[in-house]
Amino acid sequence: MSDRIRQRLGQTLLVLVLGMGALAVALPFIYMISTSLKGQVYVFEFPPRFIPSHPTLNNFVSAWQSNNFGRYFLNSLLVALVTTVLELLLSSTVAYAFARFEFPGKSVLYYTLLATLMVPGMMLIIPQFILASRLKLLNSLTGLILVYTAGGTAFNTFLLRGFFEQLPRELEEAALIDGGNYLTVFFRILLPLSTPALATVAIFTFLGAWDEYVWALTTINEPLKRTLPIAIANFHGTHASDWGLVFAGSLIAIVPVLIVFVLLQKYFIKGLTAGAVKG
Amino acid sequence: MNSTNTRSSGRRGTIRRRGRRRRVSLTPYLFLLPGMLLFLSWTVYPLLKAFQISLYDWNPIPGLASPFVGIHNYTRAFNDPIFWLALRNTLMYTVVTVAGQMLLGLTVALLVDRVTFGRTAFRTVYYLPVVTSWVVVSILFKYLFNSSPAGLVNYLLVDVLHLLPDYVRWLSNANTSWVAIMSLGIWKGIGWNMVIFLAALQGIPTELYEVAAIDGASGWQRLWRITLPLIRPTIVFVLVMLVIGGFQAFISIYLITGGGPMQRTEVLLSYMYNQGFKYLDFGYGAALSYLLAALIFGISFTQMHFLQRRIEY
Amino acid sequence: MKRKNWTIALVSGLLSSLLILSACAPAATPAPEVVKETVVVKETVPVEVTQEVVVTATPAPPEPVTITFWHAYNEVSPENEMLTKTLIPMFEAEHPNIKVKSLAVPYDEFRQKLLTSMAGGVAPDLIRSDIIWVPELAELGALAPLDEVMPDFETYKAKVFPGPLSTNFWNGHYYGLPLDTNTRVWYWNKEMYEAAGIAEPPKTIDDVAAQCAAIKALGEDKYVFADGGTYAWAVLPWIWSFGGDITDPEITKATGYLNGPNTVAAYEFLLEFYKDGCLSPSVLGSGVDAGTGYAQDLYANYLDGPWMYPIYEAQFPEKQLHAVLMPAGDGGSISVVGGEDIVLLQQSQHKEAAMEFIRFTLSPEYQLKMAETGQLMVLSELLESDYIQNHPYYGIFLEQLKTAKARTPHPAWTKMDEIITNAGQAILREEKSVQQALDEAAAEIDALLASQ
Repeated sequence: MSDRIRQRLGQTLLVLVLGMGALAVALPFIYMISTSLKGQVYVFEFPPRFIPSHPTLNNFVSAWQSNNFGRYFLNSLLVALVTTVLELLLSSTVAYAFARFEFPGKSVLYYTLLATLMVPGMMLIIPQFILASRLKLLNSLTGLILVYTAGGTAFNTFLLRGFFEQLPRELEEAALIDGGNYLTVFFRILLPLSTPALATVAIFTFLGAWDEYVWALTTINEPLKRTLPIAIANFHGTHASDWGLVFAGSLIAIVPVLIVFVLLQKYFIKGLTAGAVKG
Repeated sequence: MNSTNTRSSGRRGTIRRRGRRRRVSLTPYLFLLPGMLLFLSWTVYPLLKAFQISLYDWNPIPGLASPFVGIHNYTRAFNDPIFWLALRNTLMYTVVTVAGQMLLGLTVALLVDRVTFGRTAFRTVYYLPVVTSWVVVSILFKYLFNSSPAGLVNYLLVDVLHLLPDYVRWLSNANTSWVAIMSLGIWKGIGWNMVIFLAALQGIPTELYEVAAIDGASGWQRLWRITLPLIRPTIVFVLVMLVIGGFQAFISIYLITGGGPMQRTEVLLSYMYNQGFKYLDFGYGAALSYLLAALIFGISFTQMHFLQRRIEY
Repeated sequence: MKRKNWTIALVSGLLSSLLILSACAPAATPAPEVVKETVVVKETVPVEVTQEVVVTATPAPPEPVTITFWHAYNEVSPENEMLTKTLIPMFEAEHPNIKVKSLAVPYDEFRQKLLTSMAGGVAPDLIRSDIIWVPELAELGALAPLDEVMPDFETYKAKVFPGPLSTNFWNGHYYGLPLDTNTRVWYWNKEMYEAAGIAEPPKTIDDVAAQCAAIKALGEDKYVFADGGTYAWAVLPWIWSFGGDITDPEITKATGYLNGPNTVAAYEFLLEFYKDGCLSPSVLGSGVDAGTGYAQDLYANYLDGPWMYPIYEAQFPEKQLHAVLMPAGDGGSISVVGGEDIVLLQQSQHKEAAMEFIRFTLSPEYQLKMAETGQLMVLSELLESDYIQNHPYYGIFLEQLKTAKARTPHPAWTKMDEIITNAGQAILREEKSVQQALDEAAAEIDALLASQ
């Protein structure tokens, strides 16, 4: 068998195996889409069908038209976008300090940062609420933005620091010698070179803020200020779960995340790995 | 991780001038200030307050008496059989899902690295579970693993693929519930692992493989002797991150089984949450969170210490 | 050396600023009203005492006041529609100085949000609380004792059903008033019964058992009865109808009751029922839920509340619900009382205005309007109203409510429910014998009650 044919065969096999794996991975999503197109009677029909016998868009219509769904969607969008921008700014400045400078307290601060990654956030919810209450951060989208930004700092700094340290310093040093200050170096040289890592932070932050449920539910008391995950939770009724509605709502909620992911995908994959490879 | 960095940054481009007069510049602090201020005020105070709560039989209503109990909440955990069960469950969940994610993620990465057709498509599909919210996929898996014959998993395994003789009541029993919960954990993480390993693989120079091929090394040998040792730092990083994540598993368990039946699928975080918000025992919940944090810290530290080693090639 | 000093300075600076921050804290917390010391009264059974009460009309507060009211109605629901679009505007028109802000909080997260908000000093003024939470919240000190704070409490107390009223009583005081009530009735699947050749729905528990064979003949996946678990809400109708109970009337112990012969008989019946394939395995968790299974003609009977009617209209418009009383056992036909109470939080800064709203919710107008959305009323006077006499399905619920009992009104109820749930699970899974499981559960509950 010639090399060409062997290669072709090998490639075909690879595609087949990967394809089957991809199908297995995508299966839950496919079924979710299928169920969102069914009326409640069919949700537990036997045998379960991938292609609904009586497909309907009612669930999507109901979900979108339900009280203020559009408003919740916009609130989530606003919060997620602003959080992302703020997070990019704050964690990159902190990571820059750790990556390029030596200063007293560096180790202590860095280890504190890392250590908080290991503390489960659940039990902190009450002390954080008390703190937020005193700082007047309750019941506001601004409060959500600040809290989400604060919560992501540790991991994103960790990620960005690793990336920054890998970048060659020559450009920065040259700029400093030429009389530039650190601010210009940071904004004009370092950040533009870091788009992969920044895209990574962007998508993680967007995703985190978009999906966050517990804190938003606990601190927001005004229906008009609510975010999307709460709307979806409302479909999961006390007495009977309307599965079709829940999945339809969830699918609507996935769309923006997918858009952001697809747009940033190129950058993002490069970025995540660069921060990780060096560790 | 840190040792290599400080050494290299010490050699080039620091602002500190060595010598008799040490001038410490304010610049790093200025860069640190906004982010660290936000971070510290948000995490350090609550951490300290949570520790304070753990020392009391805490009443959440301000102004009402909370009796001081000292370390009683901590010693209580050691006598609590459900605490030990939750700990065991957490460890089991972590070991299985971390191993599963890493193995599958690495395998897929190796395959995607070699394939020439449809790379982007494969990458996207495998990464899809990663970008969906835990709440949504937990509800989804609860629906898929429904105990009745109408549950998709039951239907596929029994009626379509004929892999099982009879329907399984997945979420009615603890053992089978774990299958559902752990499949979710692994399914959700494969893409994340794949993406990280992919880039690491792409960092290996192809010459090494060519030389090895010339020397007559087989595919397996190339994998074991070249690939794996060279991506070792990545493997360690992934391992540490996944273990931390595994210990903090909560939403999937909470939404799929609620810790039941009979609290047999409780993990440390779900147990802690229930102590606080279901039984109003906040002091105990806070103590449990500190015990968990100590555990995670200890394990991560040990991992990093023993597994970190520089690789030369 | 200098470097070490810097580090120490930094860390101590951080710590001291934190200490200062936490020390500053108490000033910002609003001081709650002082709770009068409640004297521990031995008897927990409400004692009816006739009193002369002078009812003084409370004047509405002069400046505009906003009160907050949290409830667990689904945001998108007829109940919430009625509340926000009709009832609250009606109240605000009658009380121009009071504005009511209502908030829909999902039931599963209600406790967490409430407790966290209380801890932060920003609790709402009023909540529509599940009846089983009231003793717990009262014990915590979260609720205002309404019988002390509200001058005309006795008037309202006299107007409501005694059963739902009793859910507000704890440790010598009433901490709220009932808002709506419900119970579980027996829905029977007429179509399945006709197919099985049985003309009449079951009247006694023996009937149910006897009808099993005919129903099972319809198909392997058919079941005579289904429920979602072995929690108290599910098993209490059975326990009580067999003549058993959980604790003694004074709520001091469970031994002799939870493991007494009648309760044991109830669980033994359920175990046989399950082993014979008459009881759906959904009782172990997961599976097709009772409501959906009934609509799909998998389940011949199930217990549930009045909310199923609107739910069926929305989700299963083709299927009809038929309701009868809980089949009678040796103890009669006794179902379980559910419902919600309206309670006033101790932290509230606007108690006068809030109590005005409470009075409004107990007015016939409010109760009748909410009844249109599936919320059964609590005012005795409305039993004779035309609305009830002509209502398509409330009649059976009111009938069942005549004998229905409430779950144990005790702060430890959440833990008790868990113990009962686990015992039932152990029994059905045959991990423990009925007597052993109930003996152990009774002992656990004894210890729980003793430690309170």
